[in-house]
Amino acid sequence: MKNYILGLLLLANSTAYLNAQVPIPVKAQEKSIMLVGGTAHIGDGTVIANSAIGFEKGKLTFVGSATLFSNDNNKYTVLDVKGKHVYPGLILPNSQLGLVEVSSFKATDDMSETGTFNPNVRSQIAYNTDSENIATMRFNGILLTETTPTGGIISGLSSVMELEGWNWEDATHSVDIAMHMNWPAKNTRSFDFATFTVKESPNKNYDKEVGEIAKILADATAYMAVSDKKMNLKLDKMQGLLDGSTILMLHASDAKEIIEGVNLLKENGVQKIVVVAGADALYVSEFLKDNDIAVVLPPVHSLPSRDDEDIDLPYRLPYLLTEAGITVGLSHDGMLANARNLPFYAGTASAYGMTKEDALKTVTSNTAKILGIDDRVGSLEVGKDATLFVSEGDALDIRTNILTHAFISGKGVKLDNKQQELYHRFSNKYGHTIDK
Amino acid sequence: MKQINIILMLVSIILGLQLGYSQETFPRNDVLDNREDAFAFIHATIITDPETKLENATLIIKNGKIENVGPGIPIPKGYTTIDLKGKYIYPSFIDLNTNYGIPEQERQRRGGGFGAAEQIQSATRGAYNANEAIKAQYNASEEFAIDSKSAGAMRKNGFGTVLTYKSDGISRGTSALVTLGEESVNGSLLMNQAAAHYSLTKGSSQQNYPGSMMGFIALLRQTYLDAEWFSSQSPRPFADQTLEAWINSQKLPQVFDAGNWLNVLRADKIGDEFGVKYIITSGGDDYQRINDIKSTKSSLIVPVNFPDAYDVDDPIDAEKVSYADMKHWELAPTNPGVLEKNGIIFSITSAGAGDDFLTNIRTAIHYGLSENAALKALTTVPAMLLNAQNSVGKIKSGMVANFLITSDEIFKDKMIIHENWVQGKPYKLKPLNTHDYSGVYSLNIGGTVYQLEISGEPGSQKSKVILDDSTSIDAKSKFDNDLLTLGIKLQKDAKEEIRLSGWKTANGWKGTGQEVNGDWVNWEASRDGDVKANDKGKRGDKEAKENTDLVGNTIFPFVAFGRKELPKQENILIKNATVWTNEADGILTNTDVLLKDGKIAQIGKSINADGTLTIDGSGKHLTSGIIDEHTHIGGGGNDRATNSSMVRIGDQLNSEQISIYRTLAGGVTAAQVLHGSANPVGGQSALIKLRWGESPENLKIKGADEFIKFALGENVKRSSSNQSIRYPQSRMGVEQVYMDGFSNALEYEKAWKNYNTLNATTKATAIKPRRDLVDEAMLEIINGKRFITCHSYVQSEINMLMELAESFNFRVNTFTHILEGYKVADKMKEHGAAASTFSDWWNYKWEVRYAIPYNAAILQREGVLTAINSDDANMGRRLNQEAAKTIKYGNISEEDAWKMVTLNPAKMLHLDKQMGSVKVGKDADVVLWTDHPLSVYARAEKTIIDGKIYFDIIEDQKLRDEMRMERARIIQKMKDSKKKGGKMQRPNSESHFDFHCDDDYDLGNFINQKN
Repeated sequence: MKNYILGLLLLANSTAYLNAQVPIPVKAQEKSIMLVGGTAHIGDGTVIANSAIGFEKGKLTFVGSATLFSNDNNKYTVLDVKGKHVYPGLILPNSQLGLVEVSSFKATDDMSETGTFNPNVRSQIAYNTDSENIATMRFNGILLTETTPTGGIISGLSSVMELEGWNWEDATHSVDIAMHMNWPAKNTRSFDFATFTVKESPNKNYDKEVGEIAKILADATAYMAVSDKKMNLKLDKMQGLLDGSTILMLHASDAKEIIEGVNLLKENGVQKIVVVAGADALYVSEFLKDNDIAVVLPPVHSLPSRDDEDIDLPYRLPYLLTEAGITVGLSHDGMLANARNLPFYAGTASAYGMTKEDALKTVTSNTAKILGIDDRVGSLEVGKDATLFVSEGDALDIRTNILTHAFISGKGVKLDNKQQELYHRFSNKYGHTIDK
Repeated sequence: MKQINIILMLVSIILGLQLGYSQETFPRNDVLDNREDAFAFIHATIITDPETKLENATLIIKNGKIENVGPGIPIPKGYTTIDLKGKYIYPSFIDLNTNYGIPEQERQRRGGGFGAAEQIQSATRGAYNANEAIKAQYNASEEFAIDSKSAGAMRKNGFGTVLTYKSDGISRGTSALVTLGEESVNGSLLMNQAAAHYSLTKGSSQQNYPGSMMGFIALLRQTYLDAEWFSSQSPRPFADQTLEAWINSQKLPQVFDAGNWLNVLRADKIGDEFGVKYIITSGGDDYQRINDIKSTKSSLIVPVNFPDAYDVDDPIDAEKVSYADMKHWELAPTNPGVLEKNGIIFSITSAGAGDDFLTNIRTAIHYGLSENAALKALTTVPAMLLNAQNSVGKIKSGMVANFLITSDEIFKDKMIIHENWVQGKPYKLKPLNTHDYSGVYSLNIGGTVYQLEISGEPGSQKSKVILDDSTSIDAKSKFDNDLLTLGIKLQKDAKEEIRLSGWKTANGWKGTGQEVNGDWVNWEASRDGDVKANDKGKRGDKEAKENTDLVGNTIFPFVAFGRKELPKQENILIKNATVWTNEADGILTNTDVLLKDGKIAQIGKSINADGTLTIDGSGKHLTSGIIDEHTHIGGGGNDRATNSSMVRIGDQLNSEQISIYRTLAGGVTAAQVLHGSANPVGGQSALIKLRWGESPENLKIKGADEFIKFALGENVKRSSSNQSIRYPQSRMGVEQVYMDGFSNALEYEKAWKNYNTLNATTKATAIKPRRDLVDEAMLEIINGKRFITCHSYVQSEINMLMELAESFNFRVNTFTHILEGYKVADKMKEHGAAASTFSDWWNYKWEVRYAIPYNAAILQREGVLTAINSDDANMGRRLNQEAAKTIKYGNISEEDAWKMVTLNPAKMLHLDKQMGSVKVGKDADVVLWTDHPLSVYARAEKTIIDGKIYFDIIEDQKLRDEMRMERARIIQKMKDSKKKGGKMQRPNSESHFDFHCDDDYDLGNFINQKN
C-alpha cells in the first residue's frame, strides 16, 4: 500500500522520479530529424555556416548547407537551430567512466583487477549505465567514452561505450578495442616526509618487468602458432595485438620509456600502438612520427611535471605535438567527475596555439581515429552515427557550452540530471527566478 | 693469520700504554707506567691563531697541554725534541656540528603504513615531556663513546675537537665538546653539556603531533611558554624531567640545526620571540637570501658539502636536474665567501663533505673566502661560539695540545697534514720526512741495462721502464722506508714480469730478484739524473681553476623563473582597455587606468601622465587581480592534532615554490594560504600577495585580519583510514571538539582575568596561569579577533557549526568548499556566513554526492557572499575559467561571475578596502587579459601587484630563454668537471608535493603506490 502511494507520488512529479534514478534512457530514433540553420563544426577542421544536418535511424543522412536542403514529403522533422552550433559528439578516451562511482569507496570501484597481467579482463561488462556521472558528461557534450580498466602492467581490454542505454549491452559501441599496458617506470619516486619532497631513484625491477612483458608477448605468438591447444584466457586475448584487431595503448610517461616500450612491442609483433603520455612525448616526437604513433594526452589542465618546464606547457602540448605531425587526442585523469571539462581542455588548447577547429579534432575525429572507430564517429559525415549535439554557442568555451540537444545514434537523449533537478528544487525552495 | 695477531698485539700494546697514563682511579693491568709525554717542536712556522704567524718557532707541550710557544724559547730537560724545519704548525680544527661517537636513534617502524592508528601520547618511558619530540633531557656525554673510524676520518681532515650531539627531536638536549683522541672517553670529554640543541625535524618520535613545520614551530613556542610557567613554581606542579633539563640548559649556547635558509629565518624568529640568540646551522645556501640572513644577526655554522656535478651527458636525462639544483651546484662554493663579505660570523662544519672537506675549503677560497676567514671559521670562531676559547682553537700556553703539523700553509693545494696531535698525542697521517726517490736510473739486472724512471710526488711515486723515446712500460713499485719492491715487464707485450726486491744505497738501489723462469738474479740501479719536467696537467680536482671564475647570478626566488632582480614599482598607465571595475561603473570600454606609487591613481578617458610606463590596452581587458580564498600553495600543509589552532601557516610560508609563479600567470594577485583539513580545528592561515621573488615575510599582507581554518566531515573523522583512533570519529564528536575548544577558551580567559585583577601582593605569590597557544587562538575567535574559514560539505554539519558559533556569540566568517551550501543558503544568509566554493567538483567522496555546480548561483541569489576558490596549485592557475562556470551552471551575470573570484573573496578576507576592484585608492593589483577574462581563450598578459609587474607574458619568454642559456652554460661546466675526473651524481629530479585539502588521500595513495 505504502509503495503504491509512493509510486503515485512519483508519477505525479516526474522530477522527483528523476532524483531517484539517472535520467530515463530513450527509445531508438523513430523520426528523421534535420537540424537547420546552425553553424556545423564537422570535426575534420571544416565549418558549415547555416548548415543542415539530417539523420534517420541513427545515421547521418545529410550534411551540408541549409540552402541545399529541401524537406521533400516532410520526411524530416526540422529543428531550427539558427544561431546555435552543431558538433559531433565528444569522445572521452582512457576513462573509468561507468567503472567507478565514488573513488574513495572501494565498494563502488571496479576500475582494476588484481594481478599484473590481465589481458583477458574486459571493462565492457562492468560499465554501469546507472552511474550518476554519465549524465553529467553528456550535459557538456561528451557522448562516447572508451571505458578503460587500470592497474598492473596489462590492465585489460577497453570498449567504446555510448553515454546512453538501459544496460551495458545497449550502451556498447565497439567491443574490446584496446588493451592497456602500463610500461614499467624506469625511475621510482619516493616521498620524503622530512622535506615533503618527492625524490626519484632508479627502479631496480625495471629490466625484470620489461622481460615479463617480452615473455608474455612471445608466449602469445607461440600460442597463436599452435592450432590444437588448451585454452589460455590471457594469451587468447592477446592474439588481437598480433593480428592488428586490438590496439595496444601504451601508458609511458618518460621519453625513454616510450622508445623502449614501442620498440619492444614492435619487435614482438604488436601491430597497432598508441601512446598515452604527457610532455615527454615532445622529446621523442620524431620517433613517434616515424613509427606513425598517435598520442593520448593527459588533461590539458595538468600542472607541468617539472619546475623548469614552461608554465603553459600542458596547455600548449596539443598544439606542439600536432605541429610535430602527431595525431593527438585529449583525455582526462584524476577526479572522474571533472572529465566533463573535456571540451574546455580543447578550448584551452585553442587558447595556446591551435585553431578552434583543430582543437575540436582532439576531442572528436582524432580520438575516433586513435580508437579505430572513425568509420562510425568523430565527425559529421553522411553514413556515420548520428551522435552529435547542439550548443547555444561555442562548445569549447565554458560560458557558451550550453547544450540544447544531444543525439546518440539518433536518439535524442535527456540532458538534465540529478544536478539540474536539485538546482530547480532548491531554487524553488528559495523562490528564486531562474531562466532555465 | 699470524701477522694479524701480531698487528693486534701491537695495537693493544700501544693503546695499553696510552690508557695506562693519567686516569689514576681506573684499574691497572700492568705495572705503573706514567709518562709525561713532553715534546718540544723546533724550527717550525707556527700559526698560533689566524692573526699570528711565528717563524722558526718552538712549541712545547706536556701532559696534553701546551706549555709554551714562541721563537727562541729554551727547551727544558726531559723533552723529546722534534725538528720541524720547513714544516708548519696550526691549531687543529673544531667542528660544531657532529654526531661523533653518539649512536644513531633507532626508528621504530610504524605498523600498518600510512593511515595507521595514531600515537596520541609520548612513548618515552619515564617522567618526561608530554611530547616525544622534546628531548631536552638528553645529554650526549651519557652516551658518548670513542669511535676510531669516525675520529680517524675527521683527524684526516684536520679536526681535533668536535661538538657532538644527537640528531633526534625538535629539542635535542645537550651536546658534549670532545677531542678526537682515542685514549679514553673520560679524557676526550672537554666539556659536558656544552650547548643545547634544537631543530625543525621531528626525528624518531611517532607521536601524532606535531606533523608539519608549523607544528614543530608551535611545539617549540609552547615549550618555551611551558618551561617559563613550570620554572616559576615551587614546588613544581608535576614532575617533568624534560622541562627541568630544558630550564637548566637555557644558559648554555643555544644551537639550532636549521638546514636551509628558510629554516634559518624561522629559527631566528622563534629566538626573537623568546629572547634567544641561536647559533644556527645553515644548509650552505645562505647566499640565496643573504640580506635576510644578515639581518638575523645570527652566528652560523656552515657546511661546505658542495654538491657533486650531475652527469648531464644525456640531454633528456639532464632535463631531470632542476634549474635550482644546477645553479646551486655552481654557486654553493661561493657561500662561505658571501658570508664573509657580509660580515656574518660563521664557523665551518665538515658535515656532509667527507674526504672532500679540504678540497672544498680550497674551492671556497677560490670563490672568494679569505684564508684568514677560513682558518677563523675552523678554529677561533667555533671556540668562541662555545665559550671554549680558553681551551681550544689556538696554540697558546695552557690550552689543549691540539694541533696539526703540515707540509705547507694549510690551504695550499699540495699541503699535506703529516700529523694531527690531539691532547698531546700524535696521530700520524703522512711521514714527516717522505723521501724523494725521483730520478732517472740505469737499471742493471744480471748484466742487462734498462732505463728506469721514478717520478711523482714524494709518498706516492711511480716508476716505469723507458724503452725508447716514445715507449715505456709502467712498472709496479712499492716504496717502504727505503725498501723497494719492483715488478717489471721487460718487453712491451710480455705477460710475465720479473720481481725485484732491493734497498736504498747512496746513489740508487741494490738488491736481488727472481726472473720469470724462477732463477735468482742480483740487480742494481744507479741514479743518472733528474726526471725531465713534464707539462702534462694532472687530472684536476673537483674544480679546475681556469674557467671557474665566472659564476651565474643568484636569483629570486631560487627556482626556475626566478629573476636576478625583483620587479620595481613603476607608475604605469594602461590605455584604452576594457576595464572591469567591479564597482557601480561596471565595465568601461576604451578606458585608461593610471597606477601610481603602488595604488590605482586614476580611471578615465585620455589620461596623460608623463614619465610613466604606458601600456596599450586596446582590445584587451583590465581587471582587478584574482583573489583565491582557498589555496595551499606557498606553504600549505596539515598538522594532525585534533585541535591545532596554535599552528600558523605564516610560520612555514615558502617563497620558493614554482606554483606561486604559475598561479600569478593565471592572473591571481592575492590568496589565503590555508591549513589542510585533517582536523576539526586546523591552523592559522596566511594572507599573501603573490610577490614572486620576495621572502616569505614579504609575501604576507601586512595588517590583514587573522583567519583560521576549521574543517568538518570525512577528513576530520579520518574516514580514509580504517585504523585511525584519533578523536573525533563521527560528526557527533566534531561538535564536541568545538564545544570543548571554546569552553576551555572561556575558562582560560577567566583564569587570566582573575590573575590580572589580583592586587600586587597577592599576585606576587599567586600562580600565574599557563599561557596556552591553543586556548589563545580559540579565544581570539570568540572575541572577534580571528575569523573562521571552515571546510564543509554536508548541510547537517554546516548548520551545527553556525548554531554552535551563535551559542558562543560569534559568527562563522566563511564556509569553504561548502558544496551543500545551496541546501542551507537561507540559514547562511541569516547567520552572515560567506561561501567560497568549488565551481563543479563532486562525487570524489561520499559527502559530495549531492554537490552541484549550481551551488554558487543559488548561494549568490540567496544573498550569501559567494566566491569560487581553487584549493590547489592546478586550478589556482585558471580561476577565471572556474568563475565562468557560474554562467554555464546557473546563468549568473558576467560581472557577478567575475566578482566571485575578485571582489567577493576580498570581502571575505576583509581586504576589500584595499583590493578586489578597480577603484581609485585601492592597491595597484591588476591584470591585463588578452581577451574577455571569463573566456577560455583569455590569457593573463600582465599581472601587476603594488604597481610592480610580477608576471609579464613577454618577460616570461625571456626568462625561458635565459634559463635555457644558463642551463646550457652550467651543463658545459659540469661536463668539464666530469672530464677532469670530478665526482658525479646521476641526474635526479626532486619535486615538491602540492598540497590541497584532501592531501591525506593523495599522500596515502602515493605512499602505497611506491611499494
